[in-house]
Amino acid sequence: MSDRQAVRLTRRQFIAAASALAGATAAIRLGRSPAFGAAPQEIVFTTDQLIPIQEQEWARNSLLSGFTKASGIPVRFIAEPDGPYVDRLTAEAKAGKSTISVTGALHGLYPILLSGGLVRDMAPLQKQLDAMKDRTFYKDLLAASHMGGTQVFIPWMQATYAFAATKSSLQYFPKGRNPMRMTYDDLLAWGRNLQQAGGQRRLGFPVGPNGLYGRFLHGYAYPSFTGAQVKRFKSPDAVAMWQYLRRLWGVTHPSSFTYEFMYEPLLSGEVLVAWDHTARLIPAVRQKPDDFVVLPSPAGPRGRSFISVIVGLSLTKNAPDVDGGTKLIEYLTRPSTQLVTLQGDGFFPVSPEVAKSATSGWVKVVADGVSAQAGAPDAHTALLPVGLGARTAEFVPIYTDAFQLIVIQGKNIQDVLNDQARKLDALYRAQNAVCPPPDPALTPCKLD
Amino acid sequence: MVRSSRAAWAPYLLVLPTLAFLGVFIVYPMVQAFLLGLTNPDTGRLGTAPVQQMISDLHFVPAVRDTIVITAIAIPLQLALGLAMAMLVQTRFAGHGIFLYLCAVPIGISDLAAGLIWLSIFTERGYLNALLFAAGRVAQPAPYLTYDQPGWLLAAVVLTEVWRATAIVMLILLSGLQLIPRDYLETAQVFGAGPWQTLRHVTLPLLRASLQTALVIRTILAFEVFAPVMMLTGRLLPVLAGESYLWYSLYRNPHVAAAYGTLILLLSGAVTWTYLRVLRPHPGEVAG
Repeated sequence: MSDRQAVRLTRRQFIAAASALAGATAAIRLGRSPAFGAAPQEIVFTTDQLIPIQEQEWARNSLLSGFTKASGIPVRFIAEPDGPYVDRLTAEAKAGKSTISVTGALHGLYPILLSGGLVRDMAPLQKQLDAMKDRTFYKDLLAASHMGGTQVFIPWMQATYAFAATKSSLQYFPKGRNPMRMTYDDLLAWGRNLQQAGGQRRLGFPVGPNGLYGRFLHGYAYPSFTGAQVKRFKSPDAVAMWQYLRRLWGVTHPSSFTYEFMYEPLLSGEVLVAWDHTARLIPAVRQKPDDFVVLPSPAGPRGRSFISVIVGLSLTKNAPDVDGGTKLIEYLTRPSTQLVTLQGDGFFPVSPEVAKSATSGWVKVVADGVSAQAGAPDAHTALLPVGLGARTAEFVPIYTDAFQLIVIQGKNIQDVLNDQARKLDALYRAQNAVCPPPDPALTPCKLD
Repeated sequence: MVRSSRAAWAPYLLVLPTLAFLGVFIVYPMVQAFLLGLTNPDTGRLGTAPVQQMISDLHFVPAVRDTIVITAIAIPLQLALGLAMAMLVQTRFAGHGIFLYLCAVPIGISDLAAGLIWLSIFTERGYLNALLFAAGRVAQPAPYLTYDQPGWLLAAVVLTEVWRATAIVMLILLSGLQLIPRDYLETAQVFGAGPWQTLRHVTLPLLRASLQTALVIRTILAFEVFAPVMMLTGRLLPVLAGESYLWYSLYRNPHVAAAYGTLILLLSGAVTWTYLRVLRPHPGEVAG
């Protein structure tokens, strides 16, 4: 029975998709709007964000249902990890048959989408949105949306990486120091205090294969110790940083190499202090808003560096429903929708018009930590590298492999850095890519 | 004339769907993967660049070593345990039906879920520590899966593999055991053979075909394992299939991923060939 329904449904969906395609083709031939004279078709919207089931449910039932209610256009929402996400877009482009109209991806993934010719120039849509006068976008986000002379996305939402800690762990924070102004030395001392107090290492990092520890290395530690993500990769400052990271690993929970989403060990009590992407910390804060605090990332000798995670929306190159897709992007970037996104899922707004005072409960806990990070006098933003095109994914392993060799295997720091620096240099030369901020804007990026 | 030519064609016609299926879904992707692993991504021409990249990666040697070590420890254990369990069931003791079903449960569980189950046992706040703590054996939970205890990591992976895959070995061997006519065993008894002698000289030789099947299937699957290993050890115990997955999904390099795939294929082929040779019946011996 259910099988038969499933088959019928798929067949119906197939017919719907096929007729949408036929309609779109016919409309393009006739030079008409695809929506003309037809019932609204389903829009397919894919993203590499909002992947956990609860977030997907929230996206379907709270975020996108509002759009469908207002416009009458149903949305098929597909959230999947980077690999299958890019594959789906690429496969559709290669097959010349597109079902996806709108796609939302991490800023750092857009170079891949751009080099594959998968998305459109968003400048015309940006003009339309600007003309609506109800929203503006933060300048640095708009700057990040331009790659090689093309605006590849409309800013959708933003996030960052920070620390979450149980309130009980704060009593072990170094005496007389302020957690909201934490330094790397404070962090090490805190980890050591926690270990002495409880007999076990309670600081955690997501060092698992799909964890985001690589971001900590290139976007947080490196710029905070050396002032650059890439340029000063093998400098004496970098050597000092790796010596520090060895000591920090000594107070880090020894199971960290299996951690991928830090809210899990935080909730189980295995770790008391953890660094991760806010989306991967929020489930813990959300479940126990009174037990957790969110703290800014530490400051090093060269300031407090943090990564600003930008997620952008784009129309696909062969979008079957440009009109509907445009409407969806307009809806998702409305200030009122951005507020829903913040309160529902903890992704921060991209427009200054969104009222920040409206936060409470767990959202406030996260917002407090994140604003302390961005608003610190010594703060500076690191952006994900762009311009590496199809070889973007080779960037992070250069850092995580260095970690494996130096910290886990105990190899000589300078030797490892020289080896890895050669790979980094070759990568930037081959792709003729610019250094990512806060490095100076050299093209191609050259290591000292 | 017409009749005989139809008869000559009939078998080929009958296997044609299978051949077509294998050709389209196995051989074609295999050739494609092979070529992908030997294509220089920059020039698009054939070359060994992906293979060189694979070999020079810092996880390559550990991945080859760990895959072989895990397989070499887990497979003999699975075979011995599977045989013991199959022979136990074969005695038809009271409740052997329930025993069989319970043993077969892990077959129905995906390997990722198996990894999760064992992770939830071995993790610091897991069931093992909860049990030990409740029994008053430990003062505070100890982490087992840590980078400074590679022996524990390997043991956890082997245990998971044994738990997960012994049942399939048992089922294959059980069906083999059931094919052995009772006359042989009775004859052995009449001639005064003890249980070990019967096992060594009657049961095992007659079980040769089943043992071969079990070994081939298990070894091929062992070379492909990665989800439970990754759950339990992250990348501290890298395995070949895991590297292939990471090169594809994380590094977005299908060429090196395909090179790993080809390596797994070659290894599996070599081991299967060895099994078939070593375990072939000796001249004059009755094949099971």
